[in-house]
Amino acid sequence: MSEELRVSPIETRGVTGKRRFAMVVDTRRCIGCMACQVACKAEYDTPLGVNRTWVPYKVVGKYPTVKKQFLPRLCNHCDDAPCVRNCPVEATFKVEDGGFILQRYERCIGCRSCMAACPYNARFMLPSHRSYTPITNVVDKCTFCFHRVTQNLVPACVQTCIGRSRVFGDINDPKSEVSYLVATNSTQVLRPEEGTKPHVFYIGADRNATEFGRDAYRQPEVMEQERSAFKRNFKI
Amino acid sequence: MGDYVWFHDVSWHASYAVYFFVIGILAGLSFMSYGSWITPALRPLREKAAYGSIALLALGGVLLIADLSQPLRFLNILNPGYLNFSSPLAWGALNIVAFAVASVLYIMALQKGDEAKGKLLALVTALLALGLPVYTGFDLTVHQSRPVWNSPIIPVLFVAMAIASGSAVGSLLAMGNEEAQKVLRQYMLWSAGAVAVMLVSVMGTTNYGGSAAELTFMIMTTGTMGLLFIGVGFLAGSVAPAVLLFAPMGKSQAVLMVSALLILVGGAALRYVLLMAPQQLQTLF
Repeated sequence: MSEELRVSPIETRGVTGKRRFAMVVDTRRCIGCMACQVACKAEYDTPLGVNRTWVPYKVVGKYPTVKKQFLPRLCNHCDDAPCVRNCPVEATFKVEDGGFILQRYERCIGCRSCMAACPYNARFMLPSHRSYTPITNVVDKCTFCFHRVTQNLVPACVQTCIGRSRVFGDINDPKSEVSYLVATNSTQVLRPEEGTKPHVFYIGADRNATEFGRDAYRQPEVMEQERSAFKRNFKI
Repeated sequence: MGDYVWFHDVSWHASYAVYFFVIGILAGLSFMSYGSWITPALRPLREKAAYGSIALLALGGVLLIADLSQPLRFLNILNPGYLNFSSPLAWGALNIVAFAVASVLYIMALQKGDEAKGKLLALVTALLALGLPVYTGFDLTVHQSRPVWNSPIIPVLFVAMAIASGSAVGSLLAMGNEEAQKVLRQYMLWSAGAVAVMLVSVMGTTNYGGSAAELTFMIMTTGTMGLLFIGVGFLAGSVAPAVLLFAPMGKSQAVLMVSALLILVGGAALRYVLLMAPQQLQTLF
């Protein structure tokens, strides 16, 4: 069954001996503390204004019964990643054992083709000036904490998640917790219609948060002010 | 407010639209230069179009390299060890280099007055020039998640826009030459008409797409891009010149010049909207 669902040769779904790391985000347990976002920023010194992981929210309902719906976001490390196909210099590549989609900073020419290809808006351009690292003016994204996972640690965001909303593991291993969660819960992935086969699964994600809404047509002015201020200061 | 992340910026900015415009004109001029070997009426355009094409290629190259956030690494794209042929940018870069080499050889043959070699090189240059709007179209088409871009008609639309823009510039270059204008009028008329028909087709498909496609349609028609796309690009830049050139007065010099200018302004607007509108929505996901 798993084999039948593979379309592209790059996919590793159900391939024996190959690990396929995935994250399950249980939105019912997310309290919107943003600790994951902070842990990620601390791990990578991600510059102000761009994020490898972020937690957008929507306020739903009518007063007095209103609530915030959180949808933690990150690179989906797709099994059939369009960013890998579209990079003209193979700066973006897939690690076959594990399924990490990574970036070679020294090779990236900054054409932003990968950013255009990503349906999840998970890639961003690093600003031209940074304090502690010379890695600037190249495209960056979440790495699923490759450096930690290869040392048998979980990603920084998973480690810090206070509600245990984020769970990480090898989904090709039927005994892993992520396999159990995906098998026993109704899960959603973002934009499944794009055929990217994402490796971030959500439990309890609401369509209000996962789909484009009419808000996109009437973009609130406050967003534009913030966006232009950021662009003015970071020259990207 | 603050429902979505808004700092993840659009990937390609307006400078890329200018590049599309320049590459369209230079491809069109290459077609005109080759056309002069087939259609004697276009003979006065042969050298002008060839020189114009290579000058615009230099400008386009600078624009393309300057648009990279690591401009000094542009040679990476020509490194055989790095090339990824599943990306249209990779074979687009090879196409540009091949076109540049063929153009230089063609101009050298023109300067020497070598007719046989000139005609052959004009054909090679025109074929490579055809690859330029096709590759820029594929640059957009391959992005599966983008409404409008992910449509098989985009490379064809870019070729039609290249013919329209090239013949419009050719018409301005051949001002006063009635024989050449007669041929160029036909080129402008049918290419502008084809662009208009394809835009209707693109819009129809987009409006009946998924929610992202429908929202992009709204942005392009009644939203922030509406005036530029419908007003300048579609009505003024495609429909109006096609109607003007088709009308009985379409053969007059004044109408030809106005139509050429409208096609150029409309072509620039269309390329800008086609590039930016599908990205505008994405930044809000």
